[in-house]
Amino acid sequence: MSHNIPDRVKRRVEDILSRYPRREAALLPVLSALQEERGFLSHSDEEWAADTLGIPPAKVREVVTFYSLFRRKPAGRHHLQVCTNVSCALNGADGLLSHLRKKLGIAEGETSADGRFSLSSVECLGHCDEAPCLMVNDEHYGRLDRRALDELLEKLE
Amino acid sequence: MNREDELFLTRDFGLDHLHRLETYVSRGGYRAAAKALKTMTPDAVLEEVKAANLRGRGGAGFPAGIKWGFVPRGTDALRYLCVNADEGEPGTFKDRFLMSHNPHLLLEGAILASYAVGIRTAYVYIRGEYESIARRLETAVSEARASGWLGDHIAGTGFGLEVFVHRGAGAYICGEETALLESLEGKRGHPRLKPPFPASIGLFRCPTVINNVETLCHIPGIIRHGAEAFLKRGLPRDGGTRIFSVSGAVARPGCYELPTGSSLRELIYERAGGVRDGRKLKAVIPGGLSAPMLTENEIDVRMDGDSLVEAGSMLGSGAVIVIDDETPMTLVLEKITKFYAHESCGQCTPCRVGTAWMARIAARLRAGRRRNGDVDTLHRLASGIKGRTLCPMGDAAALPVLALVAKFRDELERSS
Amino acid sequence: MVSLVINGQRISAAPGTTILEAAREAGIEIPHLCYHPAFPPVGTCRLCAVEIEGLPKLEPACSTNVKEGMVVRTESPRVVEARRNVLELLLAEHAMDCPICDKAGECRLQDTYQAYSLAPGVYAEDKTRRGKKIALGGGLLLDRERCVLCTRCVRFLESVTKTSELGVFERGDRSEIGCVEGRLVDNNYSGCLAEICPVGAITDSDFRFKTRAWFLEARETICPLCGRGCAVFLESHPGFPRVPGTAKAYRVRSRRDERVNGHWICNVGRYGYGYLEKSRCRELAGPLAKTLNLKAATDVVAPLAAELRALKYKGRQTRVAVVLSDWLTNEELFLAGAVFRRDLEIGRCHLVGPRDGSPDGMLLTAERSPNRAGAKALGFNTEETTLEALARDTDLLIVFGPFLQDRFRPADIASAWAGVKTKVLFTPRDEGLGAAFDLVVPTVWPAEKDGSFTNCQGLIRSFSPALAPPPSAVPEWRLLTALGRAVGLNPSFYIPFRSAGDVRRAMP
Repeated sequence: MSHNIPDRVKRRVEDILSRYPRREAALLPVLSALQEERGFLSHSDEEWAADTLGIPPAKVREVVTFYSLFRRKPAGRHHLQVCTNVSCALNGADGLLSHLRKKLGIAEGETSADGRFSLSSVECLGHCDEAPCLMVNDEHYGRLDRRALDELLEKLE
Repeated sequence: MNREDELFLTRDFGLDHLHRLETYVSRGGYRAAAKALKTMTPDAVLEEVKAANLRGRGGAGFPAGIKWGFVPRGTDALRYLCVNADEGEPGTFKDRFLMSHNPHLLLEGAILASYAVGIRTAYVYIRGEYESIARRLETAVSEARASGWLGDHIAGTGFGLEVFVHRGAGAYICGEETALLESLEGKRGHPRLKPPFPASIGLFRCPTVINNVETLCHIPGIIRHGAEAFLKRGLPRDGGTRIFSVSGAVARPGCYELPTGSSLRELIYERAGGVRDGRKLKAVIPGGLSAPMLTENEIDVRMDGDSLVEAGSMLGSGAVIVIDDETPMTLVLEKITKFYAHESCGQCTPCRVGTAWMARIAARLRAGRRRNGDVDTLHRLASGIKGRTLCPMGDAAALPVLALVAKFRDELERSS
Repeated sequence: MVSLVINGQRISAAPGTTILEAAREAGIEIPHLCYHPAFPPVGTCRLCAVEIEGLPKLEPACSTNVKEGMVVRTESPRVVEARRNVLELLLAEHAMDCPICDKAGECRLQDTYQAYSLAPGVYAEDKTRRGKKIALGGGLLLDRERCVLCTRCVRFLESVTKTSELGVFERGDRSEIGCVEGRLVDNNYSGCLAEICPVGAITDSDFRFKTRAWFLEARETICPLCGRGCAVFLESHPGFPRVPGTAKAYRVRSRRDERVNGHWICNVGRYGYGYLEKSRCRELAGPLAKTLNLKAATDVVAPLAAELRALKYKGRQTRVAVVLSDWLTNEELFLAGAVFRRDLEIGRCHLVGPRDGSPDGMLLTAERSPNRAGAKALGFNTEETTLEALARDTDLLIVFGPFLQDRFRPADIASAWAGVKTKVLFTPRDEGLGAAFDLVVPTVWPAEKDGSFTNCQGLIRSFSPALAPPPSAVPEWRLLTALGRAVGLNPSFYIPFRSAGDVRRAMP
């Protein structure tokens, strides 16, 4: 496979593989490790995972498309994932989301032209005590209102 | 009962660095593990947990000791422990709270469970959205390993356990135990047909115990202080305390640990500070999004499994979502149905199609495009899902809609 | 055995049997889509839910095992209500293009809807547009608006071919069957996918839009295209009486035979039926037919018998060579042995069949003949021969079967055999070889006759005609019986043979 996987990822994959009695079990963590590299999973990432773990490529695609944290398209540098479930909705999540849509000029599933932000609405993030909340890449931010959100966006280069 | 009570999981949560091994050990951590491994047989540990009537804290409320007892004994066959840290039931954040404050408590619980059942490998399946917690857990695992609380010969005994942290990747359904197993095996999170149950054929086709984080966190206390003491903190058939995640329209959202069987009204008004901004309470979802909602006049109920079932709802994950009187029920309905439509694994017909259909109707209602018969259709769809799916998710999707339609039909039919 | 009651009927079933299978054994059909006897149950379509006394919920019959004393109801009001409910859900987003769907008439969804629901749809939401012509490879097309996500196709590729080209992508109601770019379905069993699809989601371009399922007559036969001899249904249109050429085979489907092919057949057998029509030899031909004024295939018997008898009386049977094929039935080979070897004492009886191909490791064998094992068992020499050996000192050459061309170039045949005085070809197919013969007699393909084959496992299975041959074609066993009688060296032996079955009974 001509796909260029950095050695550090290969080493990580080896470490991941050591935790499971079957190679296929490592698929989710291996895909996460691959996605961390470029922010999304390309077709060749999938093929590499399939090849490395001995899984048919269609089974890899099944998994990639099942889990909502896997992306097959590049996201922005800061991927804004706004919770819109009940607890957050009771605390103004829908308003925050439309504020973001207007401010960034993008809809859910889109990325800003400069590649800085991408936006999606997601289900409960388990931070309902800090509703409304969102996740930027892996980091959680809670108790947001428009002003707090604007300040947060300023900080995200 | 005071917060110093050692059977309260959150007793030391005010301490800085409780998540570090030293602090945990200084507060009595790993003493239960040492006691069990050095002075108790695995059977004795199992019997103690059975006697404690520790009901699962994940949602189904199945007694943990009985679950462990289902694993075939007397063989050397491989067995696994899966810690269900895929906390995804909307409104629930107690496992996050527990793991971020006290990851070693979970590890100690895992050691005890594994010792009782004869397990040498445990996986913590943690939802992918909890990346920082997963890292904290991994640090705790390294610390425990370095100090001999994990690995071979724990506490100098012949018992050994390896714990691995496995991250999910965004799928509510993986909180269902057989979907969790599928996911841990590297597949889509499709729930399995039961039987066989995981206790006989589970992870990698081996007997497997699957316990929720909070459930396991109670084990060290039970072993240190005995089943009797544990039972005194709760109800005879439902022992111990529970951590309630309270959110929504309350003044002080957060986790509150109370004896099982405490009053819902008290939890909302005394602990969580009542409804926010002086508004009135319209409805409460008492056990995570899947639990049928209760109205203002139904909240004088005790927060335990049996009492909530009697009240027509369920304790579920113990997540309380308070809805205030200014919130339109079409909003709640839209969010509930959208969630299940988004999270249905798609395997079986009623859930796959039924949830999506309900979500479309709810979205129209919310957008003011109601058609005649919509509410009846919702009711019919939810009834057609309830009890007719492969896994419990069908009920989870149907019950809240049925309750909402039953209790707020007028409001839904007025919406336009 | 476990004893239980289904719909008031007392039934006994082996322990471990599912309710669905036990009911089926007893003649009670429970509607289903995802269940397929070849795979472990997945219990996902929920159409087979039944009522079990004492249990609060309906349980899927496909994945619930029978228990002693169980009382099951498969048609109770509760069950039928649930079934209707599932049908409503399945049909909510279904394409409903039955009038142009190849599966119409043999569609499980359509049949179940007609049997249990016939309710008008109340789905008032906008239907999701999904791909309707997704090429899956192997000539298969996927229509996602018709798909019910039973995953039979995915499971087939997972467990039978172990190629896993297809998967379920996305989740919830966005779930769809698909394959990865550049990795289309590519295996010798892909044709099974259209067959096991319970609806018209996967269609086969070989059959697509050619005819309607309800016009077809399905008859049992055995696939002759390799040594496995898979049990198949040959489906043909009986033809419109006033439109010539409309009676023909349209499709080959697998027929369950656990001893041989289970539920499956390979693509060679499924799509190879074109030989039935291609270059079909329909009429008696050749210069000798004109000279002798022969009209029908059976007219050949008398002059040929006379010639053979004459040679035998002169002790010149060594100047006869016979070519047989391993496409002939056991009965025919037995008769050929009796006529040519026993009665006429002709030493040169060779077997020429189609060339071997590559086996696929599953069902398809290297030999592309249905009866090589039978021919061997009857003592025929299956070793290769040469044109020269056949022509050497030969006055009369009798060839059964159309396979000479698989082994030799037509020009070589013509030149090598130029010196042979009389050459007779009995064949269902004539691809220009007839010119090298003095007489070409139309015969029939295995699907058109009675007989039996011995497959590569040594199993002897008989079959009956599944298709009508061209009017002037005659089965070889009939010609050989007549020839045996006409040669007259042992006439009484042949007299009882009025059918292939009669021959079979006379065989050792």
